[in-house]
Amino acid sequence: MRGTRSLVVLKLALLTLSSAEANRPRGVSPEFAKYYKDPTTFTCISNPSVHLPASLVNDDYCDCPDGSDEPGTSACSYLSPLSPITPPDIPNNDNINTTIALPGFYCKNKGHLPAYVPFTNVNDGVCDYDTCCDGSDEWAGVGGTKCEDKCKEIGKEWRKNDEARQKALGNAGKRRKDLVAEAGRLRKEVEDRIQSLTTQIEGSEIKVRNLEDELRDVERREKGKIVRGSGQRKTSRINILAGLARQRIDELRDTLIRVRQERNSSKDRVKELEAILSTFKEEYNPNFNDEGVKRAVRSWEEYAARDKPSDGDAAHDRDLDAITQPDKENGLDWDEWEDSEESLDVDVLYKFEEYLPVPLRTWLDQKLRDLRIWAIENGMLADRPSDSGESRAVSDARNRLESAQKELKDNTDSINTHREDLAKDYGPDDVFRALKGQCVSTDSGEYTYEICFLDKTTQKPKKGGGDTGMGNFVRLETIFVDEDLPPDGKGLGSGQRIAMRHENGQHCWNGPNRSTTVVLACAEKEEIWRIVEEEKCVYRMEVGTPAVCEIGGGRREKGRDEL
Amino acid sequence: MQRLSISWTAFLLLCLTLCSLLTPAVSVKHENFKTCSQSGFCKRNRAYADTAAAQASTWTSPYALQSNSIKFSQGLLTGVVTKQVGDETIRLPLTVSFYENGVARVTIDEEQRQKKDIELRHGSKARKERYNEAEKWAIVGGTTLSSGAATKNGEKKGETRVVYGPAGAFEAVIKHEPFGVEFLREGVVEVVFNGKGMMNVEHWRAKVDKPVVEKKEGETEEEQKARESAVVEGEDEGTWWEESFGGNTDSKPRGPESIALDISFPGYSHVYGLAEHAGPLSLRETRGDSNSEDKTKYSEPYRMYNSDVFEYEMDSPMTLYGSIPFLQAKKRDSTVGVFWLNAAETWVDITKTKSFVKQAVDKVLQNPVSLGVTGSMTTDTHWISESGLLDVFVMLGPTPQDVISTYSELTGYTQLPQMFSIAYHQCRWNYVTDEDVRDVDRKFDKFKIPYDVIWLDIEYTEGKKYFTWDPMTFPDPLGMQEQLDEHERKLVAIIDPHIKNEGNYPIVEELKSKDLAVHNKDDNIYEGWCWPGSSYWIDCFNPKARDWWVGLFKYDRFKGSAKNTWLWNDMNEPSVFNGPETTMPKDNLYAGGWEHRDVHNLNGLTLINATYDALLSRDKEEASAGGVRPFVLTRSFFAGSQRMGAMWTGDNQASWPHLEASVPMILSMGISGFPFAGADVGGFFGNPSKELLTRWYQAGAFYPFFRGHAHIDTRRREPYLAGEPYTGIITQALRLRYSLLPSWYTAFHEAHTTGAPIVRPNYYVHPSDDKGFGMDDQFYVGSTGLLVKPVVKEGQEGQDIYLADKEKYFDYFDFWTYEGPGTVSVAAPLETIPVLMQGGNVFARRERPRRSSGLMRWDPYTLVVVIGNSGDAEGTLYVDDGEGFDYQQGAYIHRKFSFKSSTGTLMSEDLAPEGSATSKKAKDYLRSMEKVRVEKIVIVNAPEAWKGKTEVEVGTEYLASKSGLTRKVGMEWHGREEGKAAWAVVRDPAVAIGKGWKIDFA
Repeated sequence: MRGTRSLVVLKLALLTLSSAEANRPRGVSPEFAKYYKDPTTFTCISNPSVHLPASLVNDDYCDCPDGSDEPGTSACSYLSPLSPITPPDIPNNDNINTTIALPGFYCKNKGHLPAYVPFTNVNDGVCDYDTCCDGSDEWAGVGGTKCEDKCKEIGKEWRKNDEARQKALGNAGKRRKDLVAEAGRLRKEVEDRIQSLTTQIEGSEIKVRNLEDELRDVERREKGKIVRGSGQRKTSRINILAGLARQRIDELRDTLIRVRQERNSSKDRVKELEAILSTFKEEYNPNFNDEGVKRAVRSWEEYAARDKPSDGDAAHDRDLDAITQPDKENGLDWDEWEDSEESLDVDVLYKFEEYLPVPLRTWLDQKLRDLRIWAIENGMLADRPSDSGESRAVSDARNRLESAQKELKDNTDSINTHREDLAKDYGPDDVFRALKGQCVSTDSGEYTYEICFLDKTTQKPKKGGGDTGMGNFVRLETIFVDEDLPPDGKGLGSGQRIAMRHENGQHCWNGPNRSTTVVLACAEKEEIWRIVEEEKCVYRMEVGTPAVCEIGGGRREKGRDEL
Repeated sequence: MQRLSISWTAFLLLCLTLCSLLTPAVSVKHENFKTCSQSGFCKRNRAYADTAAAQASTWTSPYALQSNSIKFSQGLLTGVVTKQVGDETIRLPLTVSFYENGVARVTIDEEQRQKKDIELRHGSKARKERYNEAEKWAIVGGTTLSSGAATKNGEKKGETRVVYGPAGAFEAVIKHEPFGVEFLREGVVEVVFNGKGMMNVEHWRAKVDKPVVEKKEGETEEEQKARESAVVEGEDEGTWWEESFGGNTDSKPRGPESIALDISFPGYSHVYGLAEHAGPLSLRETRGDSNSEDKTKYSEPYRMYNSDVFEYEMDSPMTLYGSIPFLQAKKRDSTVGVFWLNAAETWVDITKTKSFVKQAVDKVLQNPVSLGVTGSMTTDTHWISESGLLDVFVMLGPTPQDVISTYSELTGYTQLPQMFSIAYHQCRWNYVTDEDVRDVDRKFDKFKIPYDVIWLDIEYTEGKKYFTWDPMTFPDPLGMQEQLDEHERKLVAIIDPHIKNEGNYPIVEELKSKDLAVHNKDDNIYEGWCWPGSSYWIDCFNPKARDWWVGLFKYDRFKGSAKNTWLWNDMNEPSVFNGPETTMPKDNLYAGGWEHRDVHNLNGLTLINATYDALLSRDKEEASAGGVRPFVLTRSFFAGSQRMGAMWTGDNQASWPHLEASVPMILSMGISGFPFAGADVGGFFGNPSKELLTRWYQAGAFYPFFRGHAHIDTRRREPYLAGEPYTGIITQALRLRYSLLPSWYTAFHEAHTTGAPIVRPNYYVHPSDDKGFGMDDQFYVGSTGLLVKPVVKEGQEGQDIYLADKEKYFDYFDFWTYEGPGTVSVAAPLETIPVLMQGGNVFARRERPRRSSGLMRWDPYTLVVVIGNSGDAEGTLYVDDGEGFDYQQGAYIHRKFSFKSSTGTLMSEDLAPEGSATSKKAKDYLRSMEKVRVEKIVIVNAPEAWKGKTEVEVGTEYLASKSGLTRKVGMEWHGREEGKAAWAVVRDPAVAIGKGWKIDFA
């Protein structure tokens, strides 16, 4: 379809090639030079069936369906999947290959690194010095545009920056080594700790077993011992009961007083809140499309309309006042009851033992105790209530066991934590172990932002006020980024990067819980480069750290020939 | 069971709660805005109309033109209309003006108020006259009195006839008693005033305290009230002296003062206009029953009271942000228009009746053709305004272009915008830091998406104090704008009319100390709430305030603004959060003593007028040649606002119905003389699905004003974030807009010089095709013949397009051929915009994608010649520097391209009047454009005879002068295949765009 052409084309002075330039047509890189060697005929690179007179190369008219005849102009720049569809784009029988053949307009950039400029930027009146420092992209001088060659200074500046970057990269590499070493040391520490804990646990287990045996023995020995002869006969059942009742009433009264205080302070808080909400309802802007606010106002109106529990029940308060008076003032004198040390005559009747001879008494005693233990152990007799009257021997033994058990549990917990820690993902070479808990912060706008590695991200208002949690660390991820690298190298660049996900930060007004993705790239030291709120309460932090150098975050400058 | 039902209830409640959480119930707050019955004067006049209608045959309008008062000279008729109320005669001075351009204007005032012979209540300092300065703001031309207008001899008693208009084709029959006017064109009655006797001028009267009616025993309050009003001669005075709404009381110091008039259009089936409303282009009837099933009729009149309507609803006569009280009526082969010049709150009722064409009796026999139009529809309208003059302009057409052109001559043509402003605008509430702006700017380049303007909403300011920058978030506005300028991009910053009431803010201190703010009814500074909290409002009716405002925009005052900073005036209805109906109390006072009620609908216009002047003045002082055309976007507007900038349809929603409604709304703006209109692409509130966003960009690429915008609570949605395939498809739509910018700019130039809409509804392009009169979902772009019908429904993959004429249409992208008349189906998968090219047209585009429109300035053109049934094609192109005023000195290129099948030639001819390019600026400009060429000519539906042809002959102006000097260039011919048209491409004819040339295909 776009086949043979036998055209008489008038060359316009403006569009003729300046052939002085190393035999390569304008905009052609050494890589593609081979396609432009024939002095008479040009063959479209991706469509070898299409041949053109060589004079049509760079004549500012697009002939090749792949754009290859216009390496030095913008004539074929419209060939793109991003442009409106044109009839040649619509597939037909001709199998035209519309894949763009050339990566861009080649700027030689003598004195700096060569680079490709997008064809859309050729002869548009703007000197694209960031890619084309020799200004050759504006060769036609449209509208009087003149782009002088700035490669000398730009190249110099770039080399200076590059040197600094390389130096920084070198330093960063060294620092990463230190970090990895540090991480290794920290890991070793954990492993050592696990080792010693294992030993400790073994010891503790033995100790626990022994103490369990001991306790059993002591208990057995002490079982059946009738608690008595302690001399203080304050143990009459009624007295015990009175003692317990008194204790309990004291407790209840104290609790009541405390609860009442809590109730009062809650009431005050509710009042304060209601006042805030009333003002809120009065002053909110109904034109602001905030569903959250509108819902809150609606709920508040409903809440305010409901019957409120009567607030000032004075009688109720008086009752409470009375109840919380000391017992004495309520006519209850515990001492009066407790002190009545009347010994019961009947008791004496039961002290028949005292009439028996001592050996017999001991023997009988022993027999009775054995019988009692046997009965208890066989479930025929109830054991003595243990709480009040457990013997000192038993409780000591129990305490010893309990503390041994606690020690064992602590050690087990500790070893589990450490084992989990060892299994956790600390990134390649375990490197983030060395950063754990370290914090860096930076100012941005009205806030200071902080990241504490493997812990959390925080927003701190400079004007004062509380900090806002932007998320707690949950995991490491790998994400793809594609950013331009600033001259100082402090940026993400392009490629796979390690990112730290932080979730479940403070809830956002009319939005989600805050979350932060911290994207890491190689840098000499830990520093926050940039914070963006990508969506409402979804943040992204770009952070430099040597920890990711050479792996994922390592940005190798591969020259400047990428577009 | 009981338990079960309870748990079910709970479950349902839970579901409902969850649903309401997930999909915020979005709807307008009806209770915040008045219905007709809540607006005293509307209710009174509707009741008056009901009485007139009920008594139909016996009803006599109490208004009479005193025959002995009539004077006529030099196109101006004056007289006195009297209103008889019992024994009282109220005198209403009448003027009827006949203008050179064929417009007739009827103005009625009230003598007693004119003479200030009235007393105001509450010691008010308001003016006593009826507001008579709307003209000062709205009318800029076309009011030369016609010397040719003449009274007609042999007229009947009791009427005065004036013949006027082009070739004396128009006639006004002024009836004396009752007073009324009939407007005739070529003997046919087209427009009738007061034919239904609904005219009403509420004259001034002192408040008389009513006799107190004692409550009788056993009487209810209603009965007592009824008896009470019966005592006062049957008229309901309840809203004469005071009116309350939404907790706010209007003190009404001048009492009742409304005006009303019925205007009938006999034989007319459709009426358009009364912008701005979210409803169909062809206006609905408004006297429906709200309980009725028939949703084609509203139960409320169309209301015009500029308001910040939060979450406005679809298909509604509710008022919106702006008002253009201009209405066109359409019947086959005829269009007429009326312009109701009144800036007060206005309601319009519309009813239609099937009827025979009503004609002046003595004309029927002379015009037998029109007798054929029997049983057609007649449309009656009833206009009601709260105060001011009764002042109506009548345009008798007969084409839509005639009507819009005369209307535009009166109120001013749309501004010729800067090229950048018709390219793509990227907006969001808010880009939060200057670094954010820079980042978005870089991202567009990175993704190779063109854009011209990035916008800043209110958050860039320090605490909502306009003319300041938040030092925390925008520490370097100038650096930011320098970056934008590198690729010829612009910044638009918002400045609203409310000024924060806060200490240490020089702007508010000056506003107060110089007394430049709007006053309350007690004549003290008015304080209300808006974004900044407590605020004052600049009174742009005050010349001193306007001067002050102009000074504020100087680069040394508005620090941080640069040459590429332009303006956005929002909230200028004005929006007052705590005011009645979210605006100011009607008894607020403006400079000159006018009440807010008199000027409400003009308020937005006065602000952008001041801002426009400010920008003009800002850049006039610049060394740059002759200054730069300002760009201002406004939300509120009135007739005439088109002279100052662009408008958008306000706070829409990210929903399919809002996308759908945007098309009729923008079409309505176009036929209302304000064509530089757009809707927020993507929808302001809420998050659009990717499909909706993509379809919206495709539709937006055909809005005259093309801006993406989003609410602060929405997710980011810059085109590059959508991901594939959406980003790619959106980029194609944007690049399509950019490639067609030459044609868009030509359409804007046409609007600027003739008032023609930029996007044109069917009735406008095909005024004889009554099947298309109700159509508002497809449109033509300028005079290009491009017919577009955006997809506005979810999941829709095809589009039925109505072709009104017997002509060939071709798919824009693949040249698939359709034949009119009738409806054709066009495939429209997500990546496709249904765009057809009408045969017979030539249009221009620039195909090289650039980063911004400014960087396309030197690019070559491609001409697309679409050959239709006749074999011929024609089109125009207008080009200038796209930013300055040099075009007024001839620095422009205006060409006509015509292809003639008879000669087989395509010609480029100059449309600029001879001698227009003699200034130095013109010559310099044309010289600078000499190298800008036509690089390609695409001929769609190329003749079969060209088969095998490989070259054509090019002759240029220059070459032609040396006779015989022509050259040959290549041509490629592609044959017809399966439904697609044959086409040809002329390879690089290399003719200058600004020069004459001829290409010979024969």
